[in-house]
Amino acid sequence: MALLSFERKYRVRGGTLIGGDLFDFWVGPFYVGFFGVTTAFFASLGTALIIYGAALGPTWNIWQISIAPPDLSYGLALAPLKEGGLWQIITVCALGAFCSWALREVEICRKLGIGYHVPFAFSFAIFAYATLVVIRPLLLGAWGHGFPYGIFSHLDWVSNVGYQYLHFHYNPAHMIAVSFFFTTCLALALHGGLILSAANPGESQEGGGKQAEVKTPEYEDTFFRDIIGYSIGTLGIHRLGLILALNAGFWSAVCIVISGPFWNQGWPQWWNWWLDLPIWS
Amino acid sequence: MSQYQNILTIVQISGPAEDGMPLPRGDSERRGTPKMSRLLGWIGNAQLGPIYLGYLGSLSLLFGFIAFEIIGLNMLASVGWDPVQFVRQLFWLGLEPPPAHYGIKVLPPLNDGGWWLIAGFFLTASVLLWWLRVYRRARQLELGTHVAWAFASAIWLFLVLGFIRPLLMGNFSEAVPFGIFPHLDWTAAFSIRYGNLYYNPFHCLSIVFLYGSVLLFAMHGATILAVGKYGGERELEQITDRGTASERAALFWRWTMGFNATMESVHRWAWWFAILTPLTGGIGILLTGTVVDNWYLWGIEHGLVSPLPDIYPDVVDPAAQ
Amino acid sequence: MQLWIPFAASAGALLAVASFVGAGWDAPPVESTQIGYRGTGMYLEQDVEKLEALKVANVVPEAPWEADPEGDRAGDLYENVQVLGDLSDDQFNQFMASITEWIAPEQGCEYCHDLENLASDQIYQKVVARRMIQMNQAINVDWGDHVGATGVTCYTCHRGHGIPLDYWVDDQEPKPASNMSRAGQNVAGTYSGNTSLPQNALMDYLLGDEPIRVHSLSALPTGTNPAGVKETEKTWSLMMYMSESLGVNCVTCHNSRAFNDWDQSPPQRVTAWHGINMTRALNTDYLTGLAPVFPAHRKGPEGDVFKVGCATCHNGVQKPLYGVSMLQAYVDALDKKGPTDVPDYSTYVPGETQVMGAQAPTTSSALPPRTTVADAKD
Repeated sequence: MALLSFERKYRVRGGTLIGGDLFDFWVGPFYVGFFGVTTAFFASLGTALIIYGAALGPTWNIWQISIAPPDLSYGLALAPLKEGGLWQIITVCALGAFCSWALREVEICRKLGIGYHVPFAFSFAIFAYATLVVIRPLLLGAWGHGFPYGIFSHLDWVSNVGYQYLHFHYNPAHMIAVSFFFTTCLALALHGGLILSAANPGESQEGGGKQAEVKTPEYEDTFFRDIIGYSIGTLGIHRLGLILALNAGFWSAVCIVISGPFWNQGWPQWWNWWLDLPIWS
Repeated sequence: MSQYQNILTIVQISGPAEDGMPLPRGDSERRGTPKMSRLLGWIGNAQLGPIYLGYLGSLSLLFGFIAFEIIGLNMLASVGWDPVQFVRQLFWLGLEPPPAHYGIKVLPPLNDGGWWLIAGFFLTASVLLWWLRVYRRARQLELGTHVAWAFASAIWLFLVLGFIRPLLMGNFSEAVPFGIFPHLDWTAAFSIRYGNLYYNPFHCLSIVFLYGSVLLFAMHGATILAVGKYGGERELEQITDRGTASERAALFWRWTMGFNATMESVHRWAWWFAILTPLTGGIGILLTGTVVDNWYLWGIEHGLVSPLPDIYPDVVDPAAQ
Repeated sequence: MQLWIPFAASAGALLAVASFVGAGWDAPPVESTQIGYRGTGMYLEQDVEKLEALKVANVVPEAPWEADPEGDRAGDLYENVQVLGDLSDDQFNQFMASITEWIAPEQGCEYCHDLENLASDQIYQKVVARRMIQMNQAINVDWGDHVGATGVTCYTCHRGHGIPLDYWVDDQEPKPASNMSRAGQNVAGTYSGNTSLPQNALMDYLLGDEPIRVHSLSALPTGTNPAGVKETEKTWSLMMYMSESLGVNCVTCHNSRAFNDWDQSPPQRVTAWHGINMTRALNTDYLTGLAPVFPAHRKGPEGDVFKVGCATCHNGVQKPLYGVSMLQAYVDALDKKGPTDVPDYSTYVPGETQVMGAQAPTTSSALPPRTTVADAKD
C-alpha cells in the first residue's frame, strides 16, 4: 500500500504489548496490533448497537437520534435492553474501544521509539468520559445518571444537569476548567501563528515584492519578548500547551464529579463560606 | 522503568541573556535588563525581558489602565466606598451597561451606563492599539502576521459582544457587563432569553472548534514532547529540513488514525481551529436576537430537536385557561 | 528569601481550609429523584443528612384537644370577636390555645392580649393576627390551586415564632455611593440566592405584577417581545429564590432545553404559577395594608412591612410540613371564610385603640387602587 516517502525504514516488527507477531502488521496506513483488533471489535459492536437503538427509536434524523440511559430506579443493575440496557452495553463498548485505542497508541510509540505522551494525554480524555458515565453514576447510585448518546439530546442533558445546581457557572472547578479551555485556545492560536509567521515571513522589508527568508527560533523568542516581555521557548510552549489542555480536561471531570455526589445545593451557595468568613460577617 | 519524560528541565543551564534580533532603524530601544528566573526555567526559557515599548504599546497600556480604573472605582462606589465590602463582594461586583431606553445614545448619564460606555471605549481602544502593536512588531522583525490575524479573530468576538450586536439591536443594554459573576449571569441569561443557545448552530461550531483546539494542543504538545529526544521542538528547522523527529511524529498519527500532518501543516490545523472558535462564536452571537429570537424553536423548525415522550400530558399553561 | 511568600502561602492554605470546612460539602450516599424522562438530566440530588434534619424540623404539632362544635357561639359569648364569631365556645378556645402554641409559645396569651381585658385591640399583634386569620381563611378557600386540600394554618408560616423566620423586604443594601447606581444588582443578593442577579426581584414579582415571562414564542423576531437579557436576569433571580425556598432546582418545574414550554414542564410548574399569584395577592391585599399597624422595628431597612415569600411557608421543603394537613382540627376556624371586612388601619393607635373594627368596610387592603401594568397574568 502507499507509504510515505520515508516510511518504509520505520515499519519494523516489535513494540507490541500483547500478541507478539500475531497482529503486528498494517492495513493500509493503519497499524493493527492486538489492540487494533479489540478496538475494531468494540467500535463495530458499539456502532451496531447504536444503529439498533436508533431503529428502536422514533427517528433516523441524525440530529435527533438518542440512546438514553436507564431510569434511576434500576440503580446499578443492568436494565432491560430497550429500557436503557442498550445504553449500558454501548458504554462498555465505548470504554473498551477508547482504552484499546490508547493501548494501541502505546504499541505504536514503542515501535517508533518515542515517548508515551500521546496515550498519556488521551487517557485524560478517557478519564473525563469515564467520570461522566461511570464514576459519577456509581457515586450517585444509578447508571441512569450518564448522558444520552445523541447529538442534541446530550446537550439537553448538559443544560438540565447544569440547572440542577441553579447556576452552574458558579461552580469553582467549572470556572477553573473554562479558564483552562480558553487559555489553551489562546495559546494554540499564538503557537500556531508564531510558527507560521516564522516559516512564512511574507514580504521582505527590502520591498520589491521579494519573499523574506525563513526565520529562526531566535526571531520567535524576540517577537514574544518584544510583545509581552517573555518567551517560553520552543520546548516550553509544548509543555505549556499539553499542561493547559490536560488541566482543561481534568478540571472538567472534577467539576462534574463533585456536582451531585459531593455538592447538592445550588453552586452559588458554595460561595457562602467566603461571604460568611468571620473577618467580615 | 525510570525514564526522563521531558516535562521539567531538571538541569538548568544559564548563559548570557539574549538581547533579541536587531530591529530596524526607527524603532525604539528595548526596555529592561533581562532577568533570569529559575522557577520559569523548569518549564521554559528562564529569561524575562527585555520588552519593547513603543508608542502603540505605551498608549495601549495607558488606555487599558484607565479602563481598569474606571471599572474598579465604579465597583468600589457601588458598595458605598466600603473597602471591606469591596474585597468581600469582589466577584459579585460589576459595571452595568445602560438600560434599553437610551438606545445607542452617547453618552447616557454616567451612573446609568455612561461609565460602562467610557470604560468600554478605553478598553476597545487599548485592545485595538495592542493589535497594531502585535502586527507592527511582526513586520519589524520581518515575520508573517499570522499572530495578529489570530488576535483579530478574538477581537471580532469582543467587538460583536460589546459593540456590533448592540448597534444592530438598537441599544447597549444587552452588551456584557464588567464583573466576574455579572458576566457569567449575562452569559446564562442570554441563553435563556434567546431560547437556549445550544440549538444555535454557530454555537455548536464554536464549541467544536474550542474543544478541538484543546484536543489539538494536547495532541501536538504531547507529540512534540514524545519526539523530544530527536529534537522535535526545533520545529522551524524540522519544517525546512525534515528530520527523524517529524517523521516519527507523522508516522505515529498516520498509523494511529490513517492520516497525518506535517511539521508545518499541524500548525495550520492549530491556527485555524483556534481562530474559528471566536470567529464562529461571534457569528452566532450576532445572529441572536437579530435574525433568530428563539433558537429552540428554530431548532424545531429545522429538525434538530430530539423527540421526547410526553410523560406529563396534562400540564397546560394556566394563564391560557 | 522573599517575605511575601510565606504570607501568601499561609493565606492560601487558610482559604483552602475554609473552603473545605465551611462550604457544606456532602458525600455519598446522596438521595436522587428522577423528574423527567430518563437521560434528560432532570434529576434532583439531596443531602441525606439534611433531609433527615428537615424531616425532624417539619413535624406537625398536634391539636391540643378535639374541639366540640356544639354550644353557644363565640361571637355571643365574648366581646370584640369579629372574624371567628361563628365558632363554638370550645372551638374558639381550642383555636386560641393552638394559636398560642403556633405564634407565641413562650410569651403566651399576653403576646396579643391585655390579660386584664382580653377583648381589647390595643396590642398591635392582635390586630395583625385578626387580619392574618382572614388571610389564612382566604388561602384555604380561594387558593386551593396552590395549597390543595392540605391547606395552611398559622403554624405553616410561623412555626412557633411571632415573626416567621423567612420573610422578605425591600433590599437595597449595600447602598451605592451617592449619585452612583448598581442598577439593583451586582452584589451578593440575599433574595437572589447569593448570586449577583438583581437583588430586589421579589418586589417586582411577589408584590408588583411585572411580567415574568421573557421567551419569544416564534423562532424569528417579531418586534413584540419587550424583554431582554436584563429582564431575564430579574426573572431568574425570582426563580433562584423559589428554588432555594423549596429546596428544589430548576428542573423540578422545567425542562431547561425549553424553559417556557408548558408541554415539557412537570406539573409542579402549574402549582408554582398559582403560588406566585397567591403570594402576590397576600402581600398586596393583606401584608402591605398593615403598614400603619406594624411598629418601625417590624419593618425592613427601607421602612416596608415584612412580606410573604415562598420560603415563608415552605421553609426549604417542597411541600410545607411534608404535605401533612393540619386542617382537620380547624375546619370551622380556618377552612371557611368569616367576615372579610378590612378596617381603616390608618386610624390605629397602639396602646389606645380598644376596638379596631371595620367602620368603612372594603374588601381589600387600605392601599389606593393600583394601576395595573400588564394584562398577561403570570
